[in-house]
Amino acid sequence: MKNVQDSQGYQIISDWMQEKGQKPFDFQLQTWNQYHNGYSGMVVAPTGFGKTFSVFLAVVIDYLNQPEAYKKGMKLLWVSPLRSLAKDLAKAMAIAVEEIGLDWQVEVRNGDTPQKDRRRQERLMPDVLLTTPETLHILFSQKNNSRFFKSLHCVAVDEWHELLGSKRGVLTELAVSRLLSLSENMKIYGITATIGNLDEAGKVLIPYKNIKTKRIVAKEKKKIDIITVLPDEIEVLPWAGHMGVKMASKIIPIIYENNTTLIFTNTRNQSEIWYQQILKIEPDLAGQIAIHHGSIDAQLRNWIEDAISDGHLKAVVCTSSLDLGVDFKPVDCVIQIGSPKGIARFMQRAGRSGHSPYETSKIYFVPTHSLELIEAAALKQAVKDKRIEAREPMVLTFDVLIQYLVTLAVGEGFNEKALFKAIQKVHAFHYMTEDDWHWALHFITEGGNTLKSYEEYHKVILDEDGLYKVKSKRISMLHRMNIGAIVSDAMLKVKFFSGGYIGMVEEYFISKLKPNDHFILAGRVLEMITIKDMTVLVKRSKRKSAITPSWMGGRLPLSSYLSNYLREKLSESLHPKTTEKELKFLHPLISQQEKNSHIPGKDEFLIEMIETKDGHHVFMYPFEGRLIHEVMAALIAYRLSLIKPLTFTIAMNDYGFELLSDQAIPINEDTIKDILSKENLMEDVIGSINASEMASRKFRDIAVISGLVVQSQPGTRKNNKSLQSSSGLIFRVLEDYEPQNLLLRQAYTEVFNEQLEEVRLKEAFERISKSKLILKFATSFTPLSFPIKVDSLRQSLTSEDLDARIKRIRDEVLKQTQV
Amino acid sequence: MRIITKDIRVQDEVLTLTNQRAVFWEKEKTLVVSDLHIGKTAHFRKAGIPIPSAVLDSDLNRLKGLMDHFETKTVLVVGDLFHAENNTDIDQFGQFLQHHENVSLELIKGNHDRLKTSFYESLGITVFKTHKDVGAFRFVHDEQHCGEDTFCISGHTHPGVTIKGRGKVSIKLPCYEVSEHRLILPAFSEFTGLNTKRTVDSAVCYGFTEKSVFEI
Repeated sequence: MKNVQDSQGYQIISDWMQEKGQKPFDFQLQTWNQYHNGYSGMVVAPTGFGKTFSVFLAVVIDYLNQPEAYKKGMKLLWVSPLRSLAKDLAKAMAIAVEEIGLDWQVEVRNGDTPQKDRRRQERLMPDVLLTTPETLHILFSQKNNSRFFKSLHCVAVDEWHELLGSKRGVLTELAVSRLLSLSENMKIYGITATIGNLDEAGKVLIPYKNIKTKRIVAKEKKKIDIITVLPDEIEVLPWAGHMGVKMASKIIPIIYENNTTLIFTNTRNQSEIWYQQILKIEPDLAGQIAIHHGSIDAQLRNWIEDAISDGHLKAVVCTSSLDLGVDFKPVDCVIQIGSPKGIARFMQRAGRSGHSPYETSKIYFVPTHSLELIEAAALKQAVKDKRIEAREPMVLTFDVLIQYLVTLAVGEGFNEKALFKAIQKVHAFHYMTEDDWHWALHFITEGGNTLKSYEEYHKVILDEDGLYKVKSKRISMLHRMNIGAIVSDAMLKVKFFSGGYIGMVEEYFISKLKPNDHFILAGRVLEMITIKDMTVLVKRSKRKSAITPSWMGGRLPLSSYLSNYLREKLSESLHPKTTEKELKFLHPLISQQEKNSHIPGKDEFLIEMIETKDGHHVFMYPFEGRLIHEVMAALIAYRLSLIKPLTFTIAMNDYGFELLSDQAIPINEDTIKDILSKENLMEDVIGSINASEMASRKFRDIAVISGLVVQSQPGTRKNNKSLQSSSGLIFRVLEDYEPQNLLLRQAYTEVFNEQLEEVRLKEAFERISKSKLILKFATSFTPLSFPIKVDSLRQSLTSEDLDARIKRIRDEVLKQTQV
Repeated sequence: MRIITKDIRVQDEVLTLTNQRAVFWEKEKTLVVSDLHIGKTAHFRKAGIPIPSAVLDSDLNRLKGLMDHFETKTVLVVGDLFHAENNTDIDQFGQFLQHHENVSLELIKGNHDRLKTSFYESLGITVFKTHKDVGAFRFVHDEQHCGEDTFCISGHTHPGVTIKGRGKVSIKLPCYEVSEHRLILPAFSEFTGLNTKRTVDSAVCYGFTEKSVFEI
């Protein structure tokens, strides 16, 4: 091994750093050394320790050592998942380049890049280009694009853990494959935070056997301080959301104690509610707090982000919209409202505060109902154990493949044999068969139906030079507009009648509103005037309250790692360690649960049967998260209905689920084993759900990505009107007339992997089958069952009814148990 | 194909609703259909979206089945016969018409019917620009040409209805929307979306499946 420290380039960088009073971290030095010796690899480091400069300076050093090996044009290509990230990185890199005395250009290219800058870049690419996977693919769709990448020495994929596990990850894998075909000796670097499957993450990005790779893991660790905000008193019968009001007053002092606080909520709807709540309690904060989520207009969001950076804001209520992105120097405190649903997400959010090296991250956990205190204990334990979730890479995503094929055909065209070879090496398509490949080719050239070809269908054609190309200008244009793997729901822009965009709401939500109805967006109460050209025109309203839009897809699934810890902590909760103040605090609730029913031990599975005047309830507590519980509940209902024809109402939360029937439910010591059996699991699941309906919903993304549905942009006039159709319609037509279509098959696969989570479901039943089944008959709702009951009431009642109803149930239960 | 029917009485006339997206008016031996959108699948294919051509085959088979079943003299299309430009789908439809010369085809022009009237006439289609009055009924494409004091039979909105099942399960079905002065037909073509918003709040909907036609 050569030592980079002997090189002249290193000397220059080292001198430069010394001048600034800095010294490279070990992992940076390691990265430079590895690059110097011709390795590719993965850099694993927490945020704030200069992971950018590990890879970036490695390339700079190499250039300084052998400038003659570099041609004009793009030398380093930096791919990051976020636009906002690129802007700040580019600034930092440009300063470094300037100070070191290099004549390199560092530039960003994304959807916001002005036309004239793009044209200039296309004449001569900057030495360092920062971009997103989507913009890179759009570059691939240009005529004559390979010249942009011929001079490339290194591609760096930043925040790889964010891309991995999504279709954007597959886009990235394909991009790396193409870049490699244009610039054989290019090095590939992934930069990632710690995740549960680092080995796999490395192999997905760099599956190439002839490329030497190594992983560099920073020893530097981020210290995280987790503080649970305890309520004043414990509610023995907790219900989600209710504690919110009281807890809001508890976070006001925290906001004042710190410079800038990020307040993370789980859904956009919640963030709007908390923002209103905080202002109601502490009107003095008006003007000093802001709200930030994915449905707020991008310009407004940029403005808020700048205001955070400049330290103008005391607090920002946000969603996962601020999970990633620029480091805000003034942020020194983070508050998590309610369950973060995953360990990695919790740590990532914590890391948004105190991000300078060696600073401690501080995160407050605010439970929204008392049971979430168990979650606090679980999170603390998980962070201590450093158990972080894996990100499963997606495979055989034919929608992305089809998009990529057409992208290349729009660009320079492709040779079928060479491309097949290249794509088979890409991780996502390792197991693609030759038949699948031919189907995909057939799909883009003849239209997919293997029996018949369509004379008017000329999407991609085989040209005389043996390359597959797109010749039609219209198809090229439609395709370029459609490149990418982020599919948004059908959204409408919201705009003041007097001008100025506020944000976006789902078409579904707005379709239920009438003119003069009021709703809340971006913390403002708005009155709807009319809808025009996919835009909702509104005016400011003087009202204090209104309905908050519920954006769909807001609910995050509970990670299986966190569920494990939850079960563990619950089983220990009767005898908590002295350090676990959350569990000690929760003791009244726990003992009530034990008295009324049972606290399930680690190897036990609790089933509660409760009879009320509403009917017969069964509660089960797998602690696997809402999504899995939905499937489980449907399955159990199905199995029960085989014993006795019954109709059930189903309700669930992250901890368990409820089946309610007006007749006695045939569960007893004899039947329970069969009902929870792992035998015939998937067959029964398929019997219990409407798989076609679920697949049809999954097909939406697939149809957009593969170009079957032309997306209309929110805020613009609907164009291509005669090409509008819904993915559901196309799904139905294909199911009827072309069932062998691989995109349909993909929709079903996605249902099984993501919705039904087949693997996890099987594991859950495996675990249950090994557990001791505890069947308890309770006379009234227990602390565990109550929140599930409330959630189901919430769906059917207005909020006033709900409060009264809950109070009544609670009083009844307390009366019974106190006797 | 199984044709299930349900007779309803409107303006002292009997109209037969079918589960095949068409209404038959026995007295006039007229089959009324709407929104065939012929040419849509080919239009999509031209733009690079491969929609199977079997959709059109099936639509035409259904039309033929209905025509034979009812001893139809006239097929009256209340708009949107063609989806967009003249293309191969329309060629296929032209051949279909040649095989059924004994049945006359009449069209009230819809918003999608933008081809020249002479083109329709060359296919032997009788074209009405906005409406056609027969007895107590006025046939139009959309409601802007409904007069007052007439019972209007139209298409255009592609009416559908959502039926909720247990839990969160629900399905959407095409339907006939019938109100005091209106009858709106479901779109005939299978490659059309559904609109579950009612035009008239008090309207009665007749949904249908392969086995039945039922009031909702």
